[in-house]
Amino acid sequence: MNGLPKSIFFTTALALLLLKAVNSLSAEPNLLKQPSQSPLINFRIVIHSGAAADPEDKTGLAALTSALISKGGTEKSSYDEIIEALFPMAASVDIQIDKEMTVFHGTTHRENLDAYYDILRSMLLEPGLREDDFQRLKDEAINFLRTTLRSDNEEELAKELLYQKIYVGHPYGNHNVGSVSALKRITLEDITKFYEKHYTNENITIGIAGGYPKNFPEKIKEDFSRLPEGRPEAVILTRPKTASKLRISIVKKDTRGTHIVLGFPINVTRGSPDWSALKLVQSYFGQHRSSKSHLFQRIRGVRGMNYGDYAYIEYFPRGMFRTQPEPNLARRQQIFHIWVRPVEQRNGMFGLRIALYELDKLVREGLSEKDFTSTRQFLSKYVNLLTQTESTYLGYALDSQFYEIGEFNSFLKNELSRLTVGKVNDVIRRHLRANNLNVVVITKDAKGFLRSLRSGKPSSIEYVSPKPQSILAEDKVIGSYPLDLGSIEIIPVNSIFE
Amino acid sequence: MKHFFSICTTLVLLMGCSWNSPLEIFSHPYTVDTFDNGLKLVTVETGYPNIVALYVVVQVGSRNEVESGRSGFAHLFEHMMFRGTKKFPSEKWDEIMQAAGAATNAYTTDDRTVYHAVFSKEDLESILELEADRFQNLTYTEEVFRTETRAVLGEYNKNFANPLRKLTEAVRNEAFTTHTYKHTTMGFLTDIEKMPGMYDYGLQFFDRYYRPEYTIVAVVGDIDHIETKALVKKYWGTWKRGSYQAEIPVEPPQTKAKRLNVTFHAPTLPMLEVAFHAAAYDDEQIDSAVLDLISYYAFSENSELYKRLVVKEQKVDTLHAAYYDHRDPYLFSVISRVKNSEFLPYVEKQILATCRKLQQELVPSTELEIVKSHLRYQFALGMNSSAAIAGTLAHFLGLRGTPDTINKRYALYQDVTPREIQRVARETFTSERQTIATLTHESSMTNTDSKEAYPQ
Repeated sequence: MNGLPKSIFFTTALALLLLKAVNSLSAEPNLLKQPSQSPLINFRIVIHSGAAADPEDKTGLAALTSALISKGGTEKSSYDEIIEALFPMAASVDIQIDKEMTVFHGTTHRENLDAYYDILRSMLLEPGLREDDFQRLKDEAINFLRTTLRSDNEEELAKELLYQKIYVGHPYGNHNVGSVSALKRITLEDITKFYEKHYTNENITIGIAGGYPKNFPEKIKEDFSRLPEGRPEAVILTRPKTASKLRISIVKKDTRGTHIVLGFPINVTRGSPDWSALKLVQSYFGQHRSSKSHLFQRIRGVRGMNYGDYAYIEYFPRGMFRTQPEPNLARRQQIFHIWVRPVEQRNGMFGLRIALYELDKLVREGLSEKDFTSTRQFLSKYVNLLTQTESTYLGYALDSQFYEIGEFNSFLKNELSRLTVGKVNDVIRRHLRANNLNVVVITKDAKGFLRSLRSGKPSSIEYVSPKPQSILAEDKVIGSYPLDLGSIEIIPVNSIFE
Repeated sequence: MKHFFSICTTLVLLMGCSWNSPLEIFSHPYTVDTFDNGLKLVTVETGYPNIVALYVVVQVGSRNEVESGRSGFAHLFEHMMFRGTKKFPSEKWDEIMQAAGAATNAYTTDDRTVYHAVFSKEDLESILELEADRFQNLTYTEEVFRTETRAVLGEYNKNFANPLRKLTEAVRNEAFTTHTYKHTTMGFLTDIEKMPGMYDYGLQFFDRYYRPEYTIVAVVGDIDHIETKALVKKYWGTWKRGSYQAEIPVEPPQTKAKRLNVTFHAPTLPMLEVAFHAAAYDDEQIDSAVLDLISYYAFSENSELYKRLVVKEQKVDTLHAAYYDHRDPYLFSVISRVKNSEFLPYVEKQILATCRKLQQELVPSTELEIVKSHLRYQFALGMNSSAAIAGTLAHFLGLRGTPDTINKRYALYQDVTPREIQRVARETFTSERQTIATLTHESSMTNTDSKEAYPQ
């Protein structure tokens, strides 16, 4: 044995519990505090503007501005000097950009709080916005789009392209990092103007959690009151257009598998009355990285077609690297989507059909009482795992403010407790559908896929082992699942986000 | 009195910190029990309420794939472990985990396979029973086995677009001639494609390695040691010990510098990897700890080289050292993504010059103290939940089977001196240990015209 006597741990645990219970949502204007006795202190500073505020011809401006603030120098220190100051603390200031939010987040040990906070404060209040940092970070953004995303990550590319196709002509219609041509147009002056307009006193929420000194929030408040007053006008969101039939975008790319994502906009967000019911449906149908979920069972478990198959009702980027979603991606509009991880090229058409077939079946048949009960039980407990760290707990609390709901864990548990299978199935029928949606496919043989689509012929699947008669019979039904084709396009990969 | 998550470094001491023992970075109370059958139980009470993280560490990874044509099998077997038993078929296993609201998954590395579940403390017994059953009584049909092999191929396919994976695969294949680190955990594609026919080998693999003497059960979080020990004894105590021991081939010393270019199928930025055969993980011999410090000092974001190539000259957009803890001697690599293939020779030269400088000049001790500070705070910042603590612990349990190794390793970091840095740099960064690889899209694109092997 080493370490602390047991009693101290118990006291600490109890204190953490009590403090969370009492203070978890003790928000003050622009400041969300979650004190505890942890030696770690977490910051989440949210700017309530994101990529939706980008000018149409300069997409990527919000992201590049935030990059220049957190990965560039300040007025008094060069970026080199900032790295040198952060390195001994093993600390960093990270950014996450989405349509409605830009969040600067980081964690420090309390021994380094003053030094860390001084850097964080300087970044946001006295950014250097220097030319050399600007060039470096613009290059980095372009390399991200062209190489990291477009060339090296087909799964994320398919999902981001789906969003772009659904939100054509809409403030959500561009990648958060922008496009290569738009990035090239952005000047340092654009960055300065964006900073001045959006980094204002009424457009910022500062979240802090951990064992910070009692008077520390007052100091933060005082410092950040130096930001200019005001709030930029809200971005007006129209409803995205409903796809006519199946709108299919096929990306031609030299890849081993065939990637498939499909989806459509939903009129449900975390603050909506139907959200918890739809959340339960999503969890049953396609819980992220769960072998228990329905799609996973039917596509991978029974048929071994791929690595995994999931469904979502909220934006969930970087899902191939994460088992749980990141907080602070709150949006006023969301889509429902299915992610079929790459299937073998010969099974590509069957992969599309099985996703649509299962979705159609869900809409027609709904959940059984048993599935409803087990999924509700799962979510009621699993929610505690989503907010395990103080940083994520803080992030969820900030999102709860955005959606104007209560403390997230209690909110979800309470909502789930009031659901019935009848209500859930009614929500399915009102919000989900297996037609009039967008599909993105990435495959090596784009023309072949197109021909298969247009041929109207049934799709088959090849197995490496004998399958039970029940599966083979179902395969026949799936293989003939009617595709109500709308527009179909083939996109060269190099044109995406260019 | 020590503090919760106490950490202490020389720098912190200068700032007025007064811990009793600066060496015990892993300060949570823990226990290690070894049962008669060889199974180890590690418990850690973290102070975080309600949640328990169960990590079952099997000290078997792709390192154990000693037979030709069997690369990737440890990873395939990780998949098979989710295929159920007579008592708990996979649907029942899923059902129980679902009822517990558990987050479950598994991963395989070169040296270990880890099965993890995070859940509420009231479900500890039912999950310990469930997990004990599959480790002892796994049963699946040949049809199920063949089906799962295709899920593994799907996993390979999803990774196909990643050039770093291809580069790493090629460097390992080139640098190693004999040791099983020659192949990645995923395995060679030719072997993956043959997996459907390996049902019998799967049974043998389970019989050999899924045995108590290879396994450590770590229970971390809001738990009581005595109760946990009784539960583990109840469900895991009758598991029969095995006898198999793989003879892992020893890598003979490399005799001359190697160089290769990897052609990538899709347009991507050129990449460079400069690799050297390097020491295995150790918590008594200092060399691997020294190399860890070198990786941060010379190639991290705070290094002179990074600031020059990435921030000032902006010739590369990523640069990092990859020196991952391994049970046997592995590679120390410096990997960079370069903005233009014309810069490849220059970047290579700069990396080699940095290695040479470490051999020729003593690193200022103040700089070393900064790296030591970084490592200790990095560790402390990562201890922010029971799941995170268990995840870190699993890494070290895979290497040494006990949490003791964490504090021993971090104590070694404290002992590293500029002289040690120089000695280990001289021994490691030699032309005989070196493999340099470039990855480019165009096959006609020559990697580099640099002829420089590593001169001492």
